[in-house]
Amino acid sequence: MATLTAGVPKHAAGAAGIKQHASWSPYDDNGGTTLAVAGADYCIVAASMRMSTGYSIMTRRSSKILQLTDKCVIASAGFQADMKALHKMLQSRNVTYQHSHAKPMSCPATAQLLSNTLYHRRFFPLFTFNICAGLDDEGKGAVYTYDAIGSYERTGYSCQGSGKDLMQPVLDNQLKAASPLLIPARGDTVEIFVITKEGVRREELELKKD
Amino acid sequence: MFLTRSEYDRGVNTFSPEGRLFQVEYAIEAIKLGSTAIGVATSEGVVLAVEKRVTSPLLEPSSIQKVAEIDDHIGCAMSGLTADAKTLIDHARAETQSHRFSYNEPMPLESCTQSLCDLALQFGEDDDEGGGGGGMSRPFGVALLIAGWDADVGPVLYHTDPSGTYVKYRCMAIGSGSEGALTALQEHFKPEMTLAEAEVLALSTLKQVMEEKVTATNVDIAKVAPNYHLYSTDEVEGVIGRL
Repeated sequence: MATLTAGVPKHAAGAAGIKQHASWSPYDDNGGTTLAVAGADYCIVAASMRMSTGYSIMTRRSSKILQLTDKCVIASAGFQADMKALHKMLQSRNVTYQHSHAKPMSCPATAQLLSNTLYHRRFFPLFTFNICAGLDDEGKGAVYTYDAIGSYERTGYSCQGSGKDLMQPVLDNQLKAASPLLIPARGDTVEIFVITKEGVRREELELKKD
Repeated sequence: MFLTRSEYDRGVNTFSPEGRLFQVEYAIEAIKLGSTAIGVATSEGVVLAVEKRVTSPLLEPSSIQKVAEIDDHIGCAMSGLTADAKTLIDHARAETQSHRFSYNEPMPLESCTQSLCDLALQFGEDDDEGGGGGGMSRPFGVALLIAGWDADVGPVLYHTDPSGTYVKYRCMAIGSGSEGALTALQEHFKPEMTLAEAEVLALSTLKQVMEEKVTATNVDIAKVAPNYHLYSTDEVEGVIGRL
């Protein structure tokens, strides 16, 4: 359920005799988990494909990753409608940028744009938790991780979304040294984007559909 | 050239029957009255050298500004009505800062030049047309040499004029001495020049077309390599010493 729920506590409303309409939230939490790991000259981004609300699964095949260029992707978890709106806007800003500057938007530039976009909604935030990942201007793997209002940081690896509390400790424990990773994942499918200087490759990994 | 004056040289929005916009052509002529400015691009950076006309011994030469910084990586030399350049430079400074704010990267030089030329073209717009430049009564009477360093391309030099046209050059001169300077530049410019050689080429070319003797007070030199830097009096004297 959404953590950002508007509403007045019932006892306060009752005490003051305020008429209260049925509690309604402009937000929903559609779950999903995203993950990105930066390497020396590559970057790996993965995201679950399940979209749910409460205990119901709405679809088992909904992508959370937006590929903007062959050097940059955005993975978002949270509220699907806000994610769609954000991705649509970033896609359009990317095309506009290419028209006015005759080059694709770099990953660090996209990262700054995403931060500004989120902060412009400071007082009615988009309920999305993002990772911007790809290759930087030197060809090194880059992962930028965000909160809902645009505070961001470049890190070596990051995860976001409903599974992050389980996943972040595993990453912290395993990624200090290069070792084969086994991420505890459950759900439907994970889509994985591997970004190298040769381009972007997409893979899928089937999970236990429970 | 302009002996056949008619009502067509009044409005900025009316082509003459020969297909000319006289006010724009006159604005370009205004630049030929301005002080000379030279730009030389090498693989190490771009040099700008400009003449400052010190018309009176009572004048404070340091108050004449013919080269200006637009951003860390862009500088610009002007010739013509330099007061008009102030408007253009303020616009470019705002644009480059806005680009840094949005994308955390320096603005590409062509985009900056394009945005200046967009403004230069707004002389034709009506008051209510928006775009900020509405109600401009005439074209800008200034030409610019925009020197910069692009992250992915390296050193770049653009020339803009009142018609809003921009062209990339390896070497360019504007102002009253531009014709003579261009002939000299064509003869002596080599693409493989070092920045130090470009300083000497720019200043010696300027010396040839200037009426006054070159001193550290009546010329300004700036470079973008890769950051904008305006030479101090000592540094200008150093270049004069190498002529």
